[in-house]
This record gives sequence, structure tokens and C-alpha cells, in this order.
Amino acid sequence: MLSTECELLSNQLVAPDHYVMQILAPEIARASLPGQFVHLRIPRTMDPLLRRPLSVMLADKVHGHLRLLVRAAGRGTEIIVALPSGASVDLLGPLGSPFPMPDEIDGGSDKDVLLVAGGVGVAPLVCLADAMRSLDDTPYIRSMFGASTEDMLVCWTELAARSDEFSVATEDGSAGEEGLITEVLAGQLERGHARVVYGCGPAAMMAEVARMSAEAGVPCYCSFEQRMGCGVGACLSCAIGAAGGGYLRVCKDGPVFNAEQVDWEAIRDE
Amino acid sequence: MSEACPDLSVRIGSLVLPNPVMTASGTFGYGLEYADICDLSRLGAVVIKAATVAPRVGNRPPRIVETAAGMLNAIGLQNPGADAIIAEKLPELAGFGVPIIANLAGECVDDYVLLADKFAACGHVAALELNISCPNVEGGMAFGVCPEMTAELVGSVRAITDLPLITKLSPNVTDITEIAVAAVTAGSDALSMINTLLGMSIDVRRRRPLLGNATGGLSGPAIRPVAVRCVWQVYDVVDVPIIGSGGIMCVEDALEFIMAGASAVAIGTANFVNPLAGTEILDGLVDYCQSNGIKDISEIVGVAHG
Repeated sequence: MLSTECELLSNQLVAPDHYVMQILAPEIARASLPGQFVHLRIPRTMDPLLRRPLSVMLADKVHGHLRLLVRAAGRGTEIIVALPSGASVDLLGPLGSPFPMPDEIDGGSDKDVLLVAGGVGVAPLVCLADAMRSLDDTPYIRSMFGASTEDMLVCWTELAARSDEFSVATEDGSAGEEGLITEVLAGQLERGHARVVYGCGPAAMMAEVARMSAEAGVPCYCSFEQRMGCGVGACLSCAIGAAGGGYLRVCKDGPVFNAEQVDWEAIRDE
Repeated sequence: MSEACPDLSVRIGSLVLPNPVMTASGTFGYGLEYADICDLSRLGAVVIKAATVAPRVGNRPPRIVETAAGMLNAIGLQNPGADAIIAEKLPELAGFGVPIIANLAGECVDDYVLLADKFAACGHVAALELNISCPNVEGGMAFGVCPEMTAELVGSVRAITDLPLITKLSPNVTDITEIAVAAVTAGSDALSMINTLLGMSIDVRRRRPLLGNATGGLSGPAIRPVAVRCVWQVYDVVDVPIIGSGGIMCVEDALEFIMAGASAVAIGTANFVNPLAGTEILDGLVDYCQSNGIKDISEIVGVAHG
């Protein structure tokens, strides 16, 4: 874990309210694993006061660049996405537990890996697909990306380029299948050739992904976000309900969880 | 170094801390979470997350929300219980050589006495901080808003331990000096102030409270003027050390508290913003003393009172 002031190399609007920030952070880029996040703040300001947790979409270990996908969702992230190129950002990271790689999961090595993304949740899955591409034993990657409209399929080319098959669903039918991405997942699971499902997106989507994967008997890992304080497991702010009672820390126990660890009922209710 | 190193040590009852910069309970976990980024051994003390007799799961999320120059939290005293903390956390933290202060939270006098007994017996803690001011659990502030109950609680714990006792006061009272005097008269060796201010924020889109617990404790720079005022008022009526806290982000903020009457400071919300806040503020205090010809930090404690 490092706390370091870095240069924002570029900050590009890629969809309404969505920006890709490229940051020069060689040490964090080299240490970063798929699914981990950085905790970003703007130095020498108190507005916003707290850091914001942001998933790493790509870590270019050669050039030392991090690419973060940021959705302007409130006052803090609105200020962050307005930063110009050349600005300083303070990063704490890499933080959290990464996605387990397919070879660490007992799901059958001859089968496919399914990635299910919803909206801004695509970011850590791009990073995961990128890492799986460089494995000696690269799995067959079937990716699915859902959003409300075509506009919100942010950075879809990044995921498509790293997948063997790529499907899209939009709620208004403006791109791909009309409907929810979980309907596409249902078709994929029916084929009975899935080794593991990785999901990241809205809570309701992930809950459905987890339920369907469990029903199909396929291991499932989801990446969560939550309002966060310290980012290192100390303050217990970023709690989500744990299966069997109590809470898990998104920053330290997660952000990636085995779907069986999570109390999905509590997450739907929040 | 051209100037002599100033004396930053602070006495709290029988305890002498190497310097006045400690962490505020609940903002630094058990210290271990920060061990690979912060040199814990440089801190004056680590005040650990509040311990209760039995484990507590904490409040339903969301538990934190940023507000103007501050944040609200409603963690709900989540902790694995005193026995687990003593067995699983303290031995490792003790290995860093930093004084450990245990923050105790109970529902009744007997809870506090039992907790004090357990932590005193474990041999790892240098002092006890009585948390009579948590706004985020039912009854958490009950002791801290009533002078008689404060006195009974402090007196009961005082009777069973020789460890230095610190009482952490709530700002959510009409007159904080009454509670302060009650705690000191009953045997508290020091006062820690302030705990968070009871606050609330509403999600206007969902038309519901933002925190799962509805209300929470406000901390950060937004509360600093309130905290400095509390220290200023209490300094006039007690003769024990005050540990000032409330939105300290940098050395100037720490100096404000010291000049208002605090002998030590506790860093809270700033740890989330900058994990090195405590050690940077310590460096800043050394610089300030050297630049201003101060040989002993106690020379400026309460200096603003004239």
C-alpha cells in the first residue's frame, strides 16, 4: 500500500457523466491486481474532504499508467472529474482483495469464464479480462454488458477487445438485446459450459447474477462499492451484510466477494 | 539539527507519553490496519476502537456520508468484544512499542467496571478512555450528558484500577464544564474532548435519511471551532490534562487546541484523508517549537487564555 501524489495525464469524457482518468502512478500500477482499487483525493483541499474509492480499469505496468473509470455521482466525484490534465491527485493503493483467477477456482478448466458488467461496473472486469489474456492458459472469455441505453455502455470496446465473445443488452433496446443483461446470462448458463461468473454492476443486477449462478452451480464473484472512509479496514464504514449475519468491509474483505459470503437480501433492501 | 529537540512529553496521571499526538478512537482501528504505511512507534499513543463486553455487529449501512467540511458516521460500536480484542489485536499492536489506550463503551456501570478490569489485567494498555459519549448507539450518550451519572461511572472504575483514566466527553450537552468537573472530581486523570456532534443528512432524491441509522456523529474540520471552544471552557475549570480533538487536519489546527488548553491532541477524521496525518502533525509541532524558541511544549498549553 502506497500513498503518493501523482500526475493526472488525461481526463476524458466517454459517456454522459462518465470519465476515463489516466494517471501516472508507476508503483501502484505495477503492484495492482485485477479487482483492486485506489482511494483518490485532491491534495490541499477540503472539498471534497474524504477520499473516493475508484476501480482500476487498466494498469499499464510498462508505462506506469492507471486508467480509472469515474462516474460523476455526487458533489465529490463531480469535482474530481472536472480536474484538468496535469493536475495532482493523491492516491492510496492498491487496496482491497482482487478477483481470484480462474485457475484458483474449482470450476472445470475446460469451461468458459463469464463476465457480467452493468454500467460503470465494467471497469474492474476490463482489468480482469486483460489479466486473463496474459495467462499461460488463457480461458475462453464470454462477456456480457448491460446498461439502460446505448450511451451508458461506457468503454464497451475495452471489454469487447479482451473477450472471445461479447453480448450487449440495453433496457430501451438501443443496442443489443432489449432487456436486462441477466436475461443474456440465463442463456449462457443454460449452455452448461460455465466455469465461473464474475460480476460487477448495480446491486440488483449482482444479486440476480449471484442467484442465477448459484442455481446453475457455478462459482460467482462480485465486486462491490459502498460509501467508504479509510479504505484500509480501520473505520468499518463501508459495511455490507454478510451471509449468516454481521458485516463485511468492502475496502478490506472486498471489494471482490464470493457471492456466497454476501447477504443479498440486505443488499437489495439498502 | 541546529536547535535542541523540544520536550514534547505529556503526563496523564502516572503515564508519561513521549509526545502529544495520538489517534482518536474509531478512526485508526487497532493501529495494525495502518502499520504498513505509518510508523506507529512515533505516535504519542494509539487509542483503539471502542471495546464492548460482548461483540457488536454495528449499525446497518450506509454508515458514512460526507458533509460540508466534515462527515457523519454511524458505525454503531462494531467490535469483536473485549476478550477477542485483548487476545487477537493487542499483543501485535504492543509489538510496535506505542502506548495503547483502550476506549471502553458499556451499557451500565458494571460493564465499564468489567471492561476496565479485563484491559487492566491484560498488561498491554497504558491508560483507559471511558467512552460516555457515543451518539450512535442507544444509550451511548446517557452517561455523558448527566453529571451525576458521569461521576458514578468514573468513581466506580476509579475504585478498581490504578491505570490512568481518561473520560471522553460529549459536546451534545448544555454545559460541558459541569460534566468535566464531575468526571475530574470522581477521579478522572484526564479529559478527552470532544466526541462527535449528533447530526443528520437526508437523501433528497430518495426522500430518506442518508445513514442507515438515520442520525450519526459529525466530525472533521466542520466541528473544530466547537471543539476548541469546549477545550477553552473546560481548561478554566479543571486542573487535569485535556486531550483535544475535533477536526484536526494539520499542525496549525493542533496548535489551536494546545493554545486553548489541550496538553495533547487526538487525530480522527484526518487519518482517513491522510494516513500520515499524525506523524506529519508531530513533525510540525517540533518545527513550531524550534522556530519559536519553545523548549517544552507545555509552555504554550492554554497560552491563548493570556
